[in-house]
Amino acid sequence: MISRSAIGRNAQLALRRQSCAQPANRRGLAATVSGSTSFSYDTADVGGVKVASRDVAGPTTKLAVVAKAGTRYQSLPGLTTGLEQFAFKNTNKRSALRITRESELLGGQLVAYHTREALVIEAKFLREDLPYFTELLGEVISQTRYTAHEYHEEIEPIIHIAQKRLLGNVSELAINSAHGLAFHRGLGTPLEPSSSTPLNKYLNEESISSFASSAYSKPNMAIVANGADQAELTKWVGEFFKEVSSSASGLSSEATKYYGGEERIAHGSGNSLILAFPGSSSFTAGGSYKPEISVLAALLGGQSTIKWSPGFSLLSKISSSFPGASVATTHFAYSDAGLLTIQFSGSAEAIRGASTEAVKALKSIADGSISKEDITKAVALAKYNALEEGQNIEAGLVSTGAGLVQGGKAFQIDEIGKSVAAVSADKLKAAAKALLEGKATVSAVGDLYVLPYAEELGLKV
Amino acid sequence: MSQPSLANYILKRPLLKRWMMPIANWYTNAAGYRQLGLRADDLIPEESETVLLALKRLSQKESYDRVFRLRRAVQCSVTHQLLPKAQHTTPEEDYPYLSPIIQEIEAEAKERSDLESLTVGKKA
Repeated sequence: MISRSAIGRNAQLALRRQSCAQPANRRGLAATVSGSTSFSYDTADVGGVKVASRDVAGPTTKLAVVAKAGTRYQSLPGLTTGLEQFAFKNTNKRSALRITRESELLGGQLVAYHTREALVIEAKFLREDLPYFTELLGEVISQTRYTAHEYHEEIEPIIHIAQKRLLGNVSELAINSAHGLAFHRGLGTPLEPSSSTPLNKYLNEESISSFASSAYSKPNMAIVANGADQAELTKWVGEFFKEVSSSASGLSSEATKYYGGEERIAHGSGNSLILAFPGSSSFTAGGSYKPEISVLAALLGGQSTIKWSPGFSLLSKISSSFPGASVATTHFAYSDAGLLTIQFSGSAEAIRGASTEAVKALKSIADGSISKEDITKAVALAKYNALEEGQNIEAGLVSTGAGLVQGGKAFQIDEIGKSVAAVSADKLKAAAKALLEGKATVSAVGDLYVLPYAEELGLKV
Repeated sequence: MSQPSLANYILKRPLLKRWMMPIANWYTNAAGYRQLGLRADDLIPEESETVLLALKRLSQKESYDRVFRLRRAVQCSVTHQLLPKAQHTTPEEDYPYLSPIIQEIEAEAKERSDLESLTVGKKA
């Protein structure tokens, strides 16, 4: 038996639902937008600290300190990794545990990572918690204690594990090797120290602490925010970043020079081959930015951007005829140089075949025998990628911060789109020709019996 | 595990301190560890996680010196001898080298347990 009250309740619910039923295309009032919807950054200088923010509408904020202290600028091997690990550890004001628990209570997320040029200390949180996290980042940067026991008990084991992980990762080994060949010191320093780096000699809490004092000085870093009100951010940064040292001696490294060469590393777990060429510096660098390189990267491609089709890119067509090989073209852009890499991974035999064809494809671009349609597609894709990178909060933060610290120019999305769209077929042809005539960088990791030499591929090293 | 003491209470009160210092000095000397070349912190029992961790955090030099003092004291004790006067621990040498680390570890543990029993309330 169903009780009377239960029936009544169900009937009521049904009635209510009926009256609520609404057509899918119902129009409502637009919600009021709290911030601007522009994707360009406002920059300011608060007491010597460079601050860039864009007030994207939304309830969350991402705040990052981008320091010019990536592996390129480290004075001793492993310092950047060490400093990254020391982020959010004990400070003079509170313990690491308290930092963790407090930000957990506020629903915040704390991240620290580094690239070859920048060290990023980042916090993601709800918009109203901006003062708390600005204070936290200011504290991490100026008040961390760099204690010996934290280094020995928490940081050292993690670094050792990371070293071992790197040793097993063929593609990272190949990328590091290619950077080392191309740029030697500076940008060529491996992103993570490999396990044969004698870290004990260089890395301890004192060396990290002295590196921190120059890495986290006012001229050496920028604060970048996404989804924060510029006026409010400026106010809190002015209050909480007072204690950051303002010594003029930031970190610096010599201008990057491209060398090129060939390196072969035997490895048992997997194969990776990288063909790399000098690329263009990042957009924020200004003068040496060459948009045709990013179009060339899109034209070479390798990974399809469309489902159920190998796509238009030259290398993805090639790799579809060599099952077992995957190809990806990446353009690593830095502040004063760049590296255009074509990375092959998979079985050694397939890599051998695909790489030979890939060099032929590059030669065909240099000859100018590429259809106009393909070039149009490549330009469109390169433009999309560049704009998406600007829109993507993560990448935008780092490139803006790096741009500010290096040259005082934020990542401005409108200009970058225009310059990519202006690339012509002739420019592309000239760029490909220049790459083939110059010295290439070839690094092979894996089964060296099968993997080809640069000479066999027809590249100059 | 730091030793329980009234020291802080007494040190805060100058009059009490003036009265107690001679007695304290006499007592420490009478305890006899200085004649064996030890420091007060060498006497803290090692058999606890906290002290073991604190010992690991000692600098290399200090931990070497500590082992040396302990072995010398054991040797003296076995042979029923005291060290020559020149090798006795002087009051200046008898500084706390281990207890600050122990207190730090205890503070960490206390903070952790406090945070563990934290209750979240609404913002006022």
